[in-house]
Amino acid sequence: MSQIIIQGLLLSGLYALIAVGFTLIFSIGRVLNLAYGAYLMIGGYVYYHFTQVLGLPQIAGILMAAIFGCVIGILKYRLIVKTLKGDHVAVEISTLILAVVIQAGIVLVFNDSSKILHPIVPGVWRIGGATVTFNILTAALASWAILIGLYLFVRNTHIGRAMQAVSMDVKGAAISGVDPDRINLITWGISGALGAVAGVFFASYTQLSPSMWVAPLIIAVAVVIVGGIGSIIGSLIVAHIIGFMEIISTTLIAAELRGVFTMLLIIGVLVMRPRGLFGREEL
Amino acid sequence: MGIRWQHIALWIAFIVVMLALPEFVSKGTLRTIIFANFLAIFAISWDVLSGRTGYISFGHPFLIGIGAYTSAILSYRFGFPVAASIPLAVVATMIGGTLFFLPALRIRGSYFALVTLAFMELMYQLVQVIRPDLTGGTRGMSGIETITRGAVNNYYLSFSLMVIIALAMWLVMKTRLGTALSAIGMNEESVRGSGLDTTKLKLAAFMIAAFIAGLGGAFYVHYLGSIAPRALFDINFLFTIIVAALIGGASTIIGPMIGAFFLTFLLEYLRPVLPGAERYFIYGGIALILYMYQPKGIYEVAKQGWGRLRAVRAGAGP
Amino acid sequence: MSYPLELKDVVKRFGGLTATNHMSFNVENGESLGLIGPNGAGKTTIFSLIMGEHRQTAGEILCNGEDISALPTYARIGRGVCRTYQIPRPFAEMDVLENIRLGLMPNSIWQMLTRNPDRYKEIELALSVGFSENDLNRHPAELSMGDLRKLELARTLATDPSIMLLDEVFAGLTAGEIAQIADLINKKREAGMTLIIVSHDLRSLEPLIDRAIAMNHGSIVAEGSFAKVMADPDVRASYLGGE
Ligand SMILES: Nc1ncnc2c1ncn2[C@@H]1O[C@H](COP(=O)(O)OP(=O)(O)O)[C@@H](O)[C@H]1O
Ligand SMILES: [Mg+2]
Repeated sequence: MSQIIIQGLLLSGLYALIAVGFTLIFSIGRVLNLAYGAYLMIGGYVYYHFTQVLGLPQIAGILMAAIFGCVIGILKYRLIVKTLKGDHVAVEISTLILAVVIQAGIVLVFNDSSKILHPIVPGVWRIGGATVTFNILTAALASWAILIGLYLFVRNTHIGRAMQAVSMDVKGAAISGVDPDRINLITWGISGALGAVAGVFFASYTQLSPSMWVAPLIIAVAVVIVGGIGSIIGSLIVAHIIGFMEIISTTLIAAELRGVFTMLLIIGVLVMRPRGLFGREEL
Repeated sequence: MGIRWQHIALWIAFIVVMLALPEFVSKGTLRTIIFANFLAIFAISWDVLSGRTGYISFGHPFLIGIGAYTSAILSYRFGFPVAASIPLAVVATMIGGTLFFLPALRIRGSYFALVTLAFMELMYQLVQVIRPDLTGGTRGMSGIETITRGAVNNYYLSFSLMVIIALAMWLVMKTRLGTALSAIGMNEESVRGSGLDTTKLKLAAFMIAAFIAGLGGAFYVHYLGSIAPRALFDINFLFTIIVAALIGGASTIIGPMIGAFFLTFLLEYLRPVLPGAERYFIYGGIALILYMYQPKGIYEVAKQGWGRLRAVRAGAGP
Repeated sequence: MSYPLELKDVVKRFGGLTATNHMSFNVENGESLGLIGPNGAGKTTIFSLIMGEHRQTAGEILCNGEDISALPTYARIGRGVCRTYQIPRPFAEMDVLENIRLGLMPNSIWQMLTRNPDRYKEIELALSVGFSENDLNRHPAELSMGDLRKLELARTLATDPSIMLLDEVFAGLTAGEIAQIADLINKKREAGMTLIIVSHDLRSLEPLIDRAIAMNHGSIVAEGSFAKVMADPDVRASYLGGE
């Protein structure tokens, strides 16, 4: 029982981190970035390359992952999203194509066998009957630190407030002197960096493989949309629902069914309450 | 309405050339074209639903999978003749299409795309765990009855199926039903405001798409003789279908056909250069650039090129 | 006695905002009613409620005595009610005739499949709202605001309505275009069409209506002849305060 609660809490923290970069883009540009999962993959592989191939310290690996993610996010905004002028369908389709291209690129560079990351922090911790790896504990703590940091950033900095303004009303923000283009660029950069860092933790929790981007993409989508767009609390709650559902189905029902409930949740909620569980009713 | 003799002449020329093809090309090329034919069927199905009405489906393999699995299970496990298992598979797919349709009553745009993606992933996971004795679980099934043998026969079979579906859809989309479905893609509210029941229209589009997907999926599995979940409920497969429709030209019939042939041959020509999965790198890159350059596809590029050519000639003439 | 259209105590809330606050009114056969009020008064909301694009929170909407509150939009259009939009909503990738074709379509998939479009009728409608023959194959992107309003009128007229709801018909038009559209409305009025017209251009509206209703914050402020409504101090105040 305590095993389920602890594992559930930790996994949920990781899922919240995965979702947060995705939420940023969705609430500011209202576009679905289907290549979001690819940031995670790139982050994981970059970390792997710098720490396990080149032997750099972990922190340098994480930093490199963040930088790569940030650059790719910015490039994606410049080359794709801006070119398509926010045509949603076109952005969704081209980001889907891009994800497939990145997946193939990873195969090209790293070949398609899956790789195991060494734990970022090795060791286990036993409390009661439960065992917790330091690795997932670090991941969860880092998630919470990043989430809180991001929250403070959005609330208290000039750029953060400009981001909020753009997410509420692009034209209004432009009138009051905010350059939506610049804010978008920054947001795509941050989102890429967050995704890549989340990818390092996600990969150390599962493993690295060229098709690893689909699962976190679906988790991110589920958290954001089921939670209700623009509802931070909603996203956090749903990250926990999904995290716990997975742990419970893995330990109590069958490990193969862990993703099934997430899918059923997405389908069920979107069909019953298209605005999400905690979203506003009519816009 | 709007059918001109030029169109009919083009169709006849196309059919004649394709029927004569086995005389001129190798068996290997024929096998490539067989795949292109099936891809064209899937892309046409996707286009009826998504290209026309704008309800982007990211779960088309779900529909194709129902058709393929139903027919495979009925014939392989229960000994149904193919003549019975395929129609039943089509019916099953149309029932699956209704499942797809339910969310479309309430949500659209990105949300709809996501629900369909979730349907595909759900199916992928369920097929492996629920009744693996029927579905073959993760490994799937092999040794499924094939309809005919040999590249030439399979070529004729797949081409006939593709061309019948394409012609039928071409005729249907020439009618006012086609106009109304495209109108939904442009502005659903205005279609409603024109006094039309969009629910009924969307249901029609979904049923037609499911019918084609089920038919294509069932014939495909009896061509391959095997089925595996990862090959079917796969983002790469989905990607190929969508890109075929879009790169060729959505909301047309010839577009998805052009796209399917273009992609299949592109992939085939890349094979000697890049034998592994990294082919998708170039392949996807080309698709991305083409799509970004002209989201309306090759058909539109060709049409504009043709228009310009005519304008130049008209300008040069007397 | 039943009216072509009657609203009984209709309320519409969007979350906490009451856009329609216990509105009751009716139009008589062949009458032309002007609906005026400042921006955000709730005029467009009334139209969407009548058409079934939004469902009212409370109250009844009757068409010839029948409660149509539960009917979907197409069924209301089938009963002869139709509307135009403040911002025209054409089908962007279709030409003028194809746009009109949508309005003429029967709501039956079988008939859509088996019968050809009535090209003659499409052209007749296009010409009747003032398009020239050169315009028939133009696309919305090539049309002026005036032409877009004409196109919308033609598409709604194609559904063969007996009641038309016209939302901000003069907005964004040149003086010449206003005269053309006003002329068209007058013709429909003479032919016995029941009309509800929303407009900010009161001078152009005045000659087109038999009666006016002024509203603000979702409620009726004044009702009666145009002159009487305009003389009402509350109406004047709402315009001054609202703009
Ligand atoms: N779909 C909606 N969701 C929320 N509020 C709405 C919606 N439509 C209209 N409103 C609000 O209802 C009020 C009335 O709007 P509207 O009927 O468009 O006014 P008018 O047409 O008189 O200018 C406004 O305050 C508007 O913001
Ligand atoms: Mg209005």
